[in-house]
Amino acid sequence: MIPHAIAMLPSTAMLPSTAMLPSPAMLASTASLGPKFALIVPEIVVFAGAVVCAVMGLSQSRSTRAGVPWMAVATLVGTFVVMLKVWTPEAAAAAELPMPLLGKYVIALLCVVGVGHVLASAGSVDRAIERQVASGTGAFDPVRVISGEFHAFLLFSLCGAMLLCHATDLVWLFLAFELCSLPTYVLVAIGRGADRSMEAAIKYFFLGAMSTATMLFGFALLYGATGTLELSAMREAFQMQAQVGGIGTVAIMGMLFTVIGICFKLAAVPMHFYAPDVYEGASNPVAAFISFVPKVQGFVTLVLLLGTVGWDASGNAAIPQVVAAVLWMVALLTMTLGNIGALLQRSAKRMLAYSSIANSGYMLTGILAGPAIGVDATLLYLLTYGVANLATFGSLAAIERNGHEVDSLDDLAGLRVRAPMVATALAIGALSLTGIPPLVGFWGKLDLFMASAESGQRALLVAMALNSGIAAFYYLRLVAGPFVAEPTPRTQGVAPVQSLWPRVSALVFAMGCIVLPFAANQLKQESAAAAMNGPAAPPAVRTAEK
Amino acid sequence: MHAALLPLIALATGDGAHAADGHGAAHAAAAYADVGTLQFAKATVDTSYGWLKWMLLAPLASVALCGAFAMLKVRGRLPALFTVASFAVAAVLAVTVYRQWGPTLFSTHAPLAVPLMDWLTFRWGDGPFQSFTANFGLYLDGISILWILFVTVLATLIALYASEYMESDVKAGYARFFFAVSLFVTSMLILVMSDNLVGLYLGWEGVGLCSYMLIGYYASQPGAVAASKKAFVMNRVGDLGLALAIFLIWTNYGTVQYDGLFQAIASSGAGTVQGSWSKAAIPFLLLLAVCGKSAQGPLFTWLPDAMWGPTPVSALIHAATMVTAGIYLLARMAPFYTVQAIGSEWAEPALLTVGWIGCATAFIGATIACGQFDYKRVFAYSTISSLGYMVMGLGVGTAFGGVYYVFTHAWFKALLFLTAGAVMHGMAGQVDFRRLGGLLRVPGFRITMLCMLLGCLWLATAPFSAAALSKDIILYQALTSDVEQVRWMGWLGLLTAGITAYYAFRVWFRLALGPVRIEPGPDQHHGHDDHDHGAAGHGHGGHDHGSHGAHAAHSGGHGHDAHGFHPHPPGLRINFVLVVLAVGSILAGLPTYLEKSEGFNWIQRFVQNSSAWIRATGGPEHGQILGRDGHGTLFVLATGVVVAGIALAWVLHAGNRALGDRLRDSMLKTPGLKWLARGSEHGWYVDAVYNALLGVPLWLGAQVLAFLDRFVLDGVVFAAVGRLPGFLARVFQPLYVGTVQAYALTMAGGIALIFAWVVWIWLSGGAS
Repeated sequence: MIPHAIAMLPSTAMLPSTAMLPSPAMLASTASLGPKFALIVPEIVVFAGAVVCAVMGLSQSRSTRAGVPWMAVATLVGTFVVMLKVWTPEAAAAAELPMPLLGKYVIALLCVVGVGHVLASAGSVDRAIERQVASGTGAFDPVRVISGEFHAFLLFSLCGAMLLCHATDLVWLFLAFELCSLPTYVLVAIGRGADRSMEAAIKYFFLGAMSTATMLFGFALLYGATGTLELSAMREAFQMQAQVGGIGTVAIMGMLFTVIGICFKLAAVPMHFYAPDVYEGASNPVAAFISFVPKVQGFVTLVLLLGTVGWDASGNAAIPQVVAAVLWMVALLTMTLGNIGALLQRSAKRMLAYSSIANSGYMLTGILAGPAIGVDATLLYLLTYGVANLATFGSLAAIERNGHEVDSLDDLAGLRVRAPMVATALAIGALSLTGIPPLVGFWGKLDLFMASAESGQRALLVAMALNSGIAAFYYLRLVAGPFVAEPTPRTQGVAPVQSLWPRVSALVFAMGCIVLPFAANQLKQESAAAAMNGPAAPPAVRTAEK
Repeated sequence: MHAALLPLIALATGDGAHAADGHGAAHAAAAYADVGTLQFAKATVDTSYGWLKWMLLAPLASVALCGAFAMLKVRGRLPALFTVASFAVAAVLAVTVYRQWGPTLFSTHAPLAVPLMDWLTFRWGDGPFQSFTANFGLYLDGISILWILFVTVLATLIALYASEYMESDVKAGYARFFFAVSLFVTSMLILVMSDNLVGLYLGWEGVGLCSYMLIGYYASQPGAVAASKKAFVMNRVGDLGLALAIFLIWTNYGTVQYDGLFQAIASSGAGTVQGSWSKAAIPFLLLLAVCGKSAQGPLFTWLPDAMWGPTPVSALIHAATMVTAGIYLLARMAPFYTVQAIGSEWAEPALLTVGWIGCATAFIGATIACGQFDYKRVFAYSTISSLGYMVMGLGVGTAFGGVYYVFTHAWFKALLFLTAGAVMHGMAGQVDFRRLGGLLRVPGFRITMLCMLLGCLWLATAPFSAAALSKDIILYQALTSDVEQVRWMGWLGLLTAGITAYYAFRVWFRLALGPVRIEPGPDQHHGHDDHDHGAAGHGHGGHDHGSHGAHAAHSGGHGHDAHGFHPHPPGLRINFVLVVLAVGSILAGLPTYLEKSEGFNWIQRFVQNSSAWIRATGGPEHGQILGRDGHGTLFVLATGVVVAGIALAWVLHAGNRALGDRLRDSMLKTPGLKWLARGSEHGWYVDAVYNALLGVPLWLGAQVLAFLDRFVLDGVVFAAVGRLPGFLARVFQPLYVGTVQAYALTMAGGIALIFAWVVWIWLSGGAS
């Protein structure tokens, strides 16, 4: 498998002579497939569930088709349970993962939030055709129903994000990365069944392909500079280079291309342009999904790759200065441009798209603060953002206006009258995203602020504080519209969607915003454990093998 | 003069006015400090008391269930059932922990600390002041045990009462009501049991939120909504004080956990407060919080309006428990006042301010109560007045007296409110006592009126009543003080006691005696959300009376126009609760009565073994009042003013009502006295003054700001700065063309820029 993967790499990469290939290390990695395989059971469960979903969706029986979302929910719940059983510290250590407990945290996060995403889309997929079938005016047509594909792709994407955490080499990393990315393009295309979503999907796909090419180019340069695809071996190589006169230019260029490629997934400057268009074109539940899962994907990849350049467990951030400088600039521009862009939007979805850009900027500050201080803050923020974002987006998914998706902020005026529960969930989610103290978003931000302060990133800290203030301006529209403004004639047709579950999902995650702070310490401990660089690949053993 | 305050502190500890030997504290030497060497017993950590978490989880489960019922629109009595049961569980646990831990506490003086769960830990260094910890943990010393005992027991009783009282609302609001009540009890228990100030703050805000929700319970009534908003906003002012106090406490002492905090205060020693404004400000900020929550001083006007809530809420939250949270805070934070009192110039302002605010509030509340015709509002003002007494007790230096009065007051004031509620419930919401009379002779209301008589006697601090026993401790402390100002507080307090006796019996004589007179109320004031009570129109006729068969005779038709109106006497549950509370009010005096045989005062022992008990050296003295023996003189004086007050009420409101009415009319006609009657009736126009002093300027300010916003900001600043985002958006607009090619080009351009910048860094030799 690995030789194939190398063959797939662009031939422009400077391939070192085969003599330089560390074949013993590769052998070691093949030998360690056993323990790795033990850890991969949760992903197998997701994958199997996805296949079952895809098949169920084609069933002639309407009740079986209706069971697809529940199959997806059951799959995620099962995955969570299996992960708890499988992912012991011993097993993680045996698998020689660079960050042994990262996967546990990420899988748990994706399972919990993923269930919310599945529920948020309940009832909206295949709505028209199922109604026709139910009323007898239309017949079941396997080409037209998409529920099976929709849920299968959703699960495939989650599976890819989960697999990322197992990566010990660039090939695995890349395959998992793409397994996460590709289904999201499909989701954007099929989620709404409108021309605009096709357009959005095309944009998303082509630009995504371009970013992947950028990232892959970076991978090639990294391989060229170190002669290895293994993260631990790359790390050793970088350490050796650092001891003799610094990390080479090729490696740094590779790192930069990789980071910029990942920026697409984070919707970070300069790869953020697509976000408003794509979110607007996607259906509300899918927009919720692509504003969260790709961020997890991006940050996990970023953390794993930056880990190779010399972060160690003691928390010394030894990212090459240039890479740090670029990340610093990207963070600053991302949060600022995101917030400024959001200010003028009249479309709730575009506004939240810009907000998701800005949030990536905040999270990058945690990466900059370094492993022991900041990465855990970023991971915690991913959680708080995921919960609050789902409460907000899920609320939008839970209402409709005359049978169409709600998008404009004007549709939200006086929502407290039309749909009190949804209005409450929306307000709580927006307040949490703003970072109002008792809510979970505050704790995420607090941790990032403290990480920035502790690592001495004063300028970023100030920028982040200012940006949070600016962000309050537009987030509060999501509170003021529903609660302060009076209902207008335009909002006459605004009502909750027929299915109960989107409302439940939004409300449950809004409650999460209130309840989770009570577990602040536990969450902090979990994210700190996840951010720990493990005793992966003890160098002594490896050198002995060589 | 501040040196003179030291004996005041000494007396603070001293004996109660009626203490048998006055030295009940002799065996409690370790729990408190000598002057200059404050000492606090360190808490004993005992995780085997982990079951105490069920005290919080039981009401919390009720919150969840009632919330689910409210959302699922469950009808029926299930919410009440769960609420009462969960409170009963909490009460049983409270009694259990008292019985198990009490003996240990009283012998070792060490509070019980039960860590439950880690919550917040921030650490940014290893030194002091470089970490912040606030965990979920319980801290049980004398005062928290006392508070959880009466809070849980009273909450159980009042929830039982409410299960009947709220029955007319079984449809819509029943689950919502019990949801808020359960949340209130949960928050209140967190407030008194938490082992740190952040937990206390959480509970403090929680009870404030529930108070807001319950005052505004009849949300279809504009008055209720306004009242709830007023309560919430006024409490915010106080809460700001608490938040600032907690910030300052952390910056000065480096911890918010009580145990460490008290040690830090003790080790920082006396006199460190001088020259530190931030330390000196703490007690004043705490006092601001007390003023908000306990309706003191300038912030009391929300409490009378809070009577818009259902009466059980008034009894539980706005009389017995929540409003005493301020007293709890004062008692809990007493070390801050004491450490300042020792050898510090700051002592006097802090303690004297507490005393004066309490004293003035007691007096003003009592005078306003005299002018009210709404009997529920009379009781509301009496609550303000009584709370003033408690605060004054802590201010003049007797935490024992203040806390004892909290305890006795909780019983008889809950009783008074619930009797008032029973009358309102039966009279279709009539709250004006001029329209009612002779209720003692109305069938079914005898128990209610007799219970109200007991409550009024207790409120009037009739001799030998539990209330008198506790209030006299405060007065004795004040009147025997060496400090002249404190003695003045005492005399004013004595006068207030007379006024209290007058207005309490003004209500009772009017309601209970005289010819029977019943004008039904609109049934809206305490009314119900919706008035579609079935086919019988509105009123109580339409709904099922369920178990209390006593009303079968009435169930034909309770239309409530004035002619065919039948009063609706309280049922079994209400009467049961009233009798229990009456017995409780009487028994609340037991700690003093049993003092001789037991050798200690039950309440005093609680206070001695708590942070409220700060004792200075020097034995308690037998004080003198007017040159005579203190206890005897005070007894004569207090009895005298109370009897005089009741007698005056008898003359004007029972014996010769015509005289009373004539007197009022002539007062209103006499220009020099008119303001007295009208002013008292309108609460001395405090609201109007606030409106003039704060409301109007704020409104004007808002107008000015709106003008600035519209013309200066929008017109001038927006033209420049405000357009920046728009300008930037326009600048970047070409980048958002919307076609894939353009986006790809822009992204590539961005990448190119980044690399150009990197190259520039390299060229300028910036990095390796």
